[in-house]
Amino acid sequence: MKYHVLALMIFLFPLMATAGYKEEFEKEFLTKTWAGQQVEENLCIACHSSDTMKPEFRAITEAWQASWHAQNNISCENCHGGDPKDASLSMSPHRGFVGSPQPKEVPEFCGKCHIGILSHFMESGHGKALAASRKAPNCVTCHGSHNIQRASIEIINEQLCTKCHTYERAKVMKQALFLTEKKFSELDKRLQALKREGIYADQEEKSLFNIQAEFRTLFHTVDVSLVKERTDGVTVKLDQLDKDIKAMFQELNFRKNFSAFLMLAFSGMGIILFVLSREHED
Amino acid sequence: MWGKIRNWLDIRIGLSELVQTKLIDYRVPKNINIFYTLGFIAVIAYVVEAVTGILLLVYYIPHPDHAFRSVQDIMTKVPYGWLFREMHAVGSNLMITVILLHMIVVFLMGNYKQPRELTWLGGGLSLFFVIIFGLSGYLLPWTQLSYWSTTVVTSMPTAFPLIGEPIARILRGGDHVTATTLSRFFALHVAILPPIFLALIGVHLFLINRIGISATPFGMVDEEKRPLSEFKRKTHPDGYQYYPHFFRKQMYMVMAYFAVMFFFITFMPSLFFTEEANIPADPFRTPPEIRPAWYLLAPYQFLKLIPNKFFGISLQAVLIIVFLFWPFLDTHKEKNILKRPVLRGFFLFLLALWVIFMFWGRTS
Repeated sequence: MKYHVLALMIFLFPLMATAGYKEEFEKEFLTKTWAGQQVEENLCIACHSSDTMKPEFRAITEAWQASWHAQNNISCENCHGGDPKDASLSMSPHRGFVGSPQPKEVPEFCGKCHIGILSHFMESGHGKALAASRKAPNCVTCHGSHNIQRASIEIINEQLCTKCHTYERAKVMKQALFLTEKKFSELDKRLQALKREGIYADQEEKSLFNIQAEFRTLFHTVDVSLVKERTDGVTVKLDQLDKDIKAMFQELNFRKNFSAFLMLAFSGMGIILFVLSREHED
Repeated sequence: MWGKIRNWLDIRIGLSELVQTKLIDYRVPKNINIFYTLGFIAVIAYVVEAVTGILLLVYYIPHPDHAFRSVQDIMTKVPYGWLFREMHAVGSNLMITVILLHMIVVFLMGNYKQPRELTWLGGGLSLFFVIIFGLSGYLLPWTQLSYWSTTVVTSMPTAFPLIGEPIARILRGGDHVTATTLSRFFALHVAILPPIFLALIGVHLFLINRIGISATPFGMVDEEKRPLSEFKRKTHPDGYQYYPHFFRKQMYMVMAYFAVMFFFITFMPSLFFTEEANIPADPFRTPPEIRPAWYLLAPYQFLKLIPNKFFGISLQAVLIIVFLFWPFLDTHKEKNILKRPVLRGFFLFLLALWVIFMFWGRTS
């Protein structure tokens, strides 16, 4: 026993000693990322979050990091262009850098990705007003610029709309959207519940996203009658999706019942064998 | 019909004699309890893993572009695929639990003591390989959970100087977890580990059979206190017949095992599938809370607490070595842990520490 303990101590002490004194190794090791995340080099973020930047510029990266864009891997260069991997060309127009757009340029700027919304917005009262005056609302007036959050019906509110006009028309639009938006929200919650139960309903999620995107582009026309007219078509699609989701929940119920049956069957057999075993012992 | 088949086999392989000598005449100690069935349950658990694993293998595609999709297809499109996957996932966790319980019971009963040192070592190594089974299988669905847990676990060897980096690179097949890692872990999971594990189990069972079952130390004179100078197989001539007495015990424990498994599948189907387990792997986005599987939470939390990673990992490596070679270190003659307060206290302290660290790792 003594020899074993001695052998153990001989093994332990060099480890402790190495751990305590080899500071160089420690520094090298501790500076490495423990998790080893594959971080793409982004010079925009590196510069804008450095101490040399003014606080208002530093705030841009912080706002973006909390945004829906950041959660969906939409980075600086996707909107502003430039090369985030090359310091000398990061803000070069040759690499498509456009910097901050003028108010009138904002719809085109966002519309590079949000194509459907761009055309509807430009035809709307908001879009026409913007074409006439730089003071008219553009995308960032309602959605913000860097801290953009996932859009919802809540974005139509008295506080925001009354910055420019009365709330009456916006309220009518919100009422027209309300039931369909509520249905979107319900279906989304049920899809999330399915995901928690282990069902990855990506086709249904994509389908919901597409219907929602199609419906929301309509809102940007600010045309209540058009929204009401198209709502029936959207409702039919949502009802079909609702049926598909219900079928998935039924399948989950079947699974629960089936495994519950197996659990009871094995429990029953176990009890019988236990009683037989007891009888034999007696 | 059955009689004819039995007669046919009897003439050729001596079936009746085999049953008589290996099952009926084979005696087990009279005070044997249900805890002695845990080893058998572990073997059954492995059989469940092997069978469900083979069924999953038919549909699984070990490639980053298809792995997640193929697992989702197993869950939603393959008839009863969900059942096999749930059985495989829940079963793997239950298997580790059963082996851990088995080792705790063996420890408490002092059955690791001479002449059973090698049996303990074989069992300990089996547990080690089952954990590697779990780790390698964790990556295969290629989800956020599997990807990032594997990233964390494969980073651990880098704590060692000189050999750490090469070990991590060999495990991953590069600097990061990639398609190469998936291929390596897949090969490890389905082709390399099973024969090693089966060989270990074979040796373990051979040793149990060869040395004989040890009687529990509670309330019985333990004749194994004799000096070990020559081989003597432990038999229990006045004990119970293995069949049907102990066999029935084993069978109702097997039924209990399946009942527990289906309890989890029925009432907690997503217990081992957190939210990240349903999101495809994204190497560019680390989930906010990523933790290894429950059986590695205690060492993980331990490492998080010790700023010196090298020391933390070395200490754990030493503990594993001590655990594996414990029968060679503990040469005390007394088998009954109730008569050894220091060992009992130390064991309970370690067990409590492990449980605390596990819950701490889960909540921190």
